[in-house]
Amino acid sequence: MTIERKIREHLHEEAETMECPPAISKRIEQSYSHYLQRKRSEITMKKRLIGGIVAAAILIPTAAFAAPVVIDMLTRAPMTSEQVKLDEAGKATLEKLYSAFPETKSFEIIDASYLGDPNDSTKKVQLSIVLQENGGTGKKITLHTNGITDEIQDLTQENWEPKEKPLITLPDQEIKGKVDQLIDKLYGNIKDYEVAMEQMDNPNQKTFILNYTKKGSGGEGYQVFVQGNSISLAPVDFEPSNAEVEGYFSRDGKPDYYADNFLNDEKLFALLKMSPTELKEELAKGKSVVEIAASKNISKQQVIDVIARTQAEGQLQDGKNKVTISDDLLKQMMKEVEPKVVHIIEHKTETKW
Amino acid sequence: MENEEMYQLLIKMKEGDEQAFHTMYDATFQDVYRTVSFLVDHKQDREDVMNEIYMQMWTSLANYDTNRPFQFWLHGLVIRQVQRFRVKSWRRFRIVERIRAFSHEESYLDEHTALMDGTNQMISQSIRKLTDKQRTVIIFRFYHDYTLEEIATLLDIPLGTVKSRYHAGLQALRKYLGNLPLERMEKINDY
Repeated sequence: MTIERKIREHLHEEAETMECPPAISKRIEQSYSHYLQRKRSEITMKKRLIGGIVAAAILIPTAAFAAPVVIDMLTRAPMTSEQVKLDEAGKATLEKLYSAFPETKSFEIIDASYLGDPNDSTKKVQLSIVLQENGGTGKKITLHTNGITDEIQDLTQENWEPKEKPLITLPDQEIKGKVDQLIDKLYGNIKDYEVAMEQMDNPNQKTFILNYTKKGSGGEGYQVFVQGNSISLAPVDFEPSNAEVEGYFSRDGKPDYYADNFLNDEKLFALLKMSPTELKEELAKGKSVVEIAASKNISKQQVIDVIARTQAEGQLQDGKNKVTISDDLLKQMMKEVEPKVVHIIEHKTETKW
Repeated sequence: MENEEMYQLLIKMKEGDEQAFHTMYDATFQDVYRTVSFLVDHKQDREDVMNEIYMQMWTSLANYDTNRPFQFWLHGLVIRQVQRFRVKSWRRFRIVERIRAFSHEESYLDEHTALMDGTNQMISQSIRKLTDKQRTVIIFRFYHDYTLEEIATLLDIPLGTVKSRYHAGLQALRKYLGNLPLERMEKINDY
């Protein structure tokens, strides 16, 4: 018998005697259900986020936040670090970062991409850059920049603290101090802001939400999440709401603003041939948007299309500035936002999201 | 299972379908566990590596190349995680140095190998004496019957390198096994 054959036979024989210990299967199963929980809590996270906003909005109850819902697109076009450095928005973002945190100059751009027309990088909605420190604690910073205004829309700072002593284990005041510092360095004028810090009831992971509101303003400011060893920060615009109706749904008797962003849509009202007030009344009876539409012979898909288009187009503009993209791309964005839309139009008031 | 079917299953699993996860797990865990066991000696380490591999399934599904067989993708994950683990364990090795070296010796005595007869135990131990690089090539060649070209793609290294590892591995095995007279073999297994 040749040695090759012997080895082959032996390996197959030996393999037969190897049984995967049940402990491993159990652990992997747990990892998976962890993953599921996290996946689901992303939805809860958004809900909480609105909760946080509602808490802040008590100060100014007649207006609503325009919280940007970033559509995750499959077609993010990748960029090399050279392309980022040549890109206008990229340059502006890096300059901002470098002047705020000089140490990041030595960081390496480990990932970059933009959201927009994959064939034309001047037509971009958002530019994303990830930088990481070589060695050290592996500090990492992820930046999402508005492609139109060059404003940093969203930022995640990871591993700034040593691994053995992650950020979340620090006393509350110190955590707040770190966030203050971050905002001050990057955007400045931290003294002008008031902050409300709150621990979220997320059973899986200790999470803080910090709402910064500019004193005397309508409510513009920053919203910050602290979790594990990371800080995620996003400036929130505050637009006085011109919507007639707010809080389409309610939860525990209180108005629930979660879906407002999606339902306050002129085109939707036109499609349903209803006024916003009528829609709210119908929803209060415990019907879902889909059911209301069905009673008027309007299909679910029609509703989805209208809302998804508004949401997708909303992504492409910032005030008066607008990015034009091809129809195909717009359709793709609509497809992306669809699950969120479905979630909302099938929702019934006073039920769990 | 068909590739297309597996891919659909993976997508469902990623989206949160628990049934899909179980089907996927049941279809793959034996193969993955056995492969990992051939490549990683420590029991606790195997568990960690296995866990990492499966976690990769839902995090790096985006890298799935539908033109390649599912097995190929799966084994790619296995290899990458085993390699990542080795880098880590090498660092750990340096820290705990000698102590670790002793426990490493002990780990040759796996429960299942204890039940095998002398020659088989001999082969089993010889394979474990190969360098990690040679061992990976030998396992994928003889256990999974991949061609050397396929192994080169899996490991993302040149074919020439695979060939030299393969031959060096076989050479070493021949040395360990072939040169030992039968009596001596038994004596060794006597301890």
